[in-house]
Amino acid sequence: MAPMRIRPGATVTAAVCAGVLLATSACGGGGGSGSDTIVIGYSGPLSGGAAAYGKNIQDGLQLAIDELNNQGVTVDGEQYRVELRSLDDQYAPDAAATNAQRLAEQDDAAVVFIPHAGGIQAAQELNSSRTEFLLGAYSSDPKIVEQGNELTMMIPPSFESYAEPFVDKLTRNGESRLGLLGTASEYGQEWTKLVTQEWKSRGGQVLSDNSIDYGTVSDFAGPVSRTLAENPDVIFLGGPSQPTAVIIEEARRQGYEGSFLLMDQAKFEEMEEFTDPKNLNDAIGVKPVRNYDDPGTEDLLDAYAEKVTKKRPVTSEVALNYQSAAIVVAAMEQAGSIDDPTAIREAIPDAIGEVGEQFHVSGFPTEITDAGHLRNQDLEAAYRTPDGEYEYLPIEQPDE
Amino acid sequence: MTLFIQQLFDGLALGGVYCLAAIGLTLIFGVLRIPNLAHGTLYMLGAYVTYFFLVTVGVPYVAAIGLAAVVLAVIGVLLERVVFHPLRNAPHTHHMIAAVGAMFFFQAVAQAIWGADFRRMDSPISGSVTILGAQISWQRIVIVVTAVIVLGLLTWFIKRSIHGQTIEAIEQDRTGSSLVGISPSRVSMLTFGLAAALATVAAGLVAPINLLAPTMGDALSLKVFAIIILGGLGSLPGAIVGGFTLALAEVMTSTYVSAAAGEGIAFAVIVLVLAIRPTGLFARAVQR
Amino acid sequence: MTTSTFSPQRLGTLLVALALLLAPLTLGGQEYVLRVLTVGATYAIAVYGMNLILGLTGQLSLAHGGFFGIGVYIVGLLTTDYDWAFWPSLLVAVVVTALGGFVSGVVALRTREEYFAIFTMAMGFIIFLVISRWESVTHAHSGVSGVKFPEGFGLLDFSEPIVMYYLVLLFLLGAAYVTHAVRRSGIGRTLVAIRTSEDLARSIGINVGLNKQLAFAASTTFAGLAGGLFAAVQGFVGPSAASIDLTFEMLMFILVGGLGTVLGPVVGTFIVLFLFEFFQDFEAYRFLVLGPIIVALVIFAPRGIVGYLNAFVGKLRSRGTGAGTGSGGPPEHRSSDTATDVKETL
Repeated sequence: MAPMRIRPGATVTAAVCAGVLLATSACGGGGGSGSDTIVIGYSGPLSGGAAAYGKNIQDGLQLAIDELNNQGVTVDGEQYRVELRSLDDQYAPDAAATNAQRLAEQDDAAVVFIPHAGGIQAAQELNSSRTEFLLGAYSSDPKIVEQGNELTMMIPPSFESYAEPFVDKLTRNGESRLGLLGTASEYGQEWTKLVTQEWKSRGGQVLSDNSIDYGTVSDFAGPVSRTLAENPDVIFLGGPSQPTAVIIEEARRQGYEGSFLLMDQAKFEEMEEFTDPKNLNDAIGVKPVRNYDDPGTEDLLDAYAEKVTKKRPVTSEVALNYQSAAIVVAAMEQAGSIDDPTAIREAIPDAIGEVGEQFHVSGFPTEITDAGHLRNQDLEAAYRTPDGEYEYLPIEQPDE
Repeated sequence: MTLFIQQLFDGLALGGVYCLAAIGLTLIFGVLRIPNLAHGTLYMLGAYVTYFFLVTVGVPYVAAIGLAAVVLAVIGVLLERVVFHPLRNAPHTHHMIAAVGAMFFFQAVAQAIWGADFRRMDSPISGSVTILGAQISWQRIVIVVTAVIVLGLLTWFIKRSIHGQTIEAIEQDRTGSSLVGISPSRVSMLTFGLAAALATVAAGLVAPINLLAPTMGDALSLKVFAIIILGGLGSLPGAIVGGFTLALAEVMTSTYVSAAAGEGIAFAVIVLVLAIRPTGLFARAVQR
Repeated sequence: MTTSTFSPQRLGTLLVALALLLAPLTLGGQEYVLRVLTVGATYAIAVYGMNLILGLTGQLSLAHGGFFGIGVYIVGLLTTDYDWAFWPSLLVAVVVTALGGFVSGVVALRTREEYFAIFTMAMGFIIFLVISRWESVTHAHSGVSGVKFPEGFGLLDFSEPIVMYYLVLLFLLGAAYVTHAVRRSGIGRTLVAIRTSEDLARSIGINVGLNKQLAFAASTTFAGLAGGLFAAVQGFVGPSAASIDLTFEMLMFILVGGLGTVLGPVVGTFIVLFLFEFFQDFEAYRFLVLGPIIVALVIFAPRGIVGYLNAFVGKLRSRGTGAGTGSGGPPEHRSSDTATDVKETL
């Protein structure tokens, strides 16, 4: 059908194919940073439904890095500037893994932070076999350290440590009926399961599961009235703070007077901005960051208000990542290496004690377990009394 | 029983919102034969622009919704001119991807302006009333009443006014309409403007009982498709019946079956209806 | 049709194939790019499936991401929870998606055009809901980690990314070849006849229902195969692998590349994926740029890059010696300028 010699059109076709190749090599060639820079990688949801969450973590890391640069970072006798390199993964595990690899290879990031369990597990498939990087894992799901990945640093407390003291506190007056109204995310489901077990183990009655996807449901009144129809004494709920606050408000409006058991994703300080704080009385959850009196807390609150926003409070997402970025850099200083993830990981136990006081903001870790979990032995939960005061209660952390 | 009454009213309020959003979508489909996947993002933008007028500028609630509807009508017309008009002869695959592109863009715009965090918009209508033992908030009653009024006005507009009649004429016979001097291009713009304004009214009404976020329209987008399939693509009364039916089905399924089933019901409806009647319930003769 | 061995189209195909074959060698240890290429190649296989049903029969299936997800989860779950080997798992994924497509096609294909698109969108969403909520089987949002690499039987080590890449590439070439072969075959012509006019096709004795069902089953099979490979490439699978967004991404790949063409899916997939990666520098704002680019591509290059090039080649040729205008001329000549014409040779 076609003539036997090459036509000019072929060059165009060829050009496109060459384009593919070029794009490939362009991507391959870019990146890398100056020799006097330490790149910390971050892959999180910067757009899409979880973008606010991703932004909080990014802010925490960036604030720590700014502070570190202020003080000066010296590794093995050389001065370095620290730089945060962020990529968007929209909460998708495969995108997070691709991003982590890109950060490790092209930007020479020895540490990559990822704030969601799916992305963390996908990245663990990589850093255990292929590209080496230390994974700063911000997820309170304990399974991320159960798999024995040697280059993982789990940042927040495991959510398993909360269930027991929370249930303990809220069953003191013989409460026996637990309503379930958590968010239908991965995390919410795990929490629901855990709380259910804990509640049943004390002979309590767990009512029907009314979990809903906080992000997509357009009217919370229905699920709330379904839950209340079974007359619960305690309601378990929680997801992102803002919808959680709206649900609590709706429950109070419909006349609910019992207590709330909040999963750790919801933060008192954020919810107070979204609903009349009175609605939050008689609830147990994580301790607000501003109520810590660690040496660096005030400074972080000020820095956040000045550099990020005055409209939102500092949450533990900001604070815990602020601390852990400092730990990682201190570990580099201890290890005398900015590019050996294994050495950096091994230096963390020593580095924890070396981090400057200004980075102690919300229960600074006192140890890292062999499995890679940063832990603070004095972890506390917060109970907001019926009078709106906060009481703190100690939390035992399970052995790992 | 109280629970049932409660859910009934919640379902009706939700139905009002669904109707307003679905009518725009069905009008666009009827006139331009475009499955406008970006409809949910127009709804989202409508909510944010209402928020802007109400909270940032400080105008009264009703005026804020009105102003936002005007702004969104303009955005709707622009969307038609810039994106869908050039594609008027393209197959629906191209419309869908163009709509997805527009969706990405609008969400990014909302995030750039208002941030990714949730926003709350309080309406001046507070308090609730007890009906047969159930607590019904005034906002929900306002939603239902407003929806009914807007739907009435819309029906009048389309049946009685000159501009509105051109929409129906185009829906019924595109070639014939152009022969009698109706400009399909003008009608397309009118339809898009109207649809965006209606979505804004829906968003402005529901925002106080929910939260604003750049992704708030995503879930709605898919559900309104279920509604217009149920009601027959392009059919106005169908969208109204479909909106209330689906909302009630959703609420009742979540109440009496499970929350997950409630979330899936919209899609089960699409599959079931189309499996039985491949052109939707109440389908009208489809012109090509 | 003469038996020419050298046409611009062939040259193009050869170049794309060469580019894909040689690409890893130019990377110099940049495994990240290799990963993007490998993931892109698995997507491209699924996109070929979409090309079969959309390009040849004109029906847009939005359940494609769902079937991809079924493939992902069958391989993901069988190789972990049930400790199967990879290859039999992949076979199950392929068989299940093939049967699933064939059976669901009975109902789905009763609908047409927009209705088919919306019907399959709902189907895709239901698949996603089942995968993301059926905790006891799929582990819902927790996902599955530790998916096995394919067994190399001592000959090949598929845990080496480059070996995995060539494996996926092999399947990709297979997918492209099947597309090419189907278009040439009687089935391809039958499908085109159906796309042009179902009634006419029926009147000349074509079993319209069965043929469309076969095309649909073929497309879901490609999706299932691609999904199975994707699971092994990633090692971890989560529900986002079955989401509706993925379907729209694939649709974007195919439209950018060129609908109904043999090279379109692969060219489109890689170009869009690299655009996505490239615009990562904009972080949260990348869709401010990407959104308009997508719209512009659809408006200004409705036939996709490959479609556009084909038309261009055709035009040049007819302006030249006129040698190509023999028996019917190159097929792109027959197509008018409307975007609905998606039949191209390349």
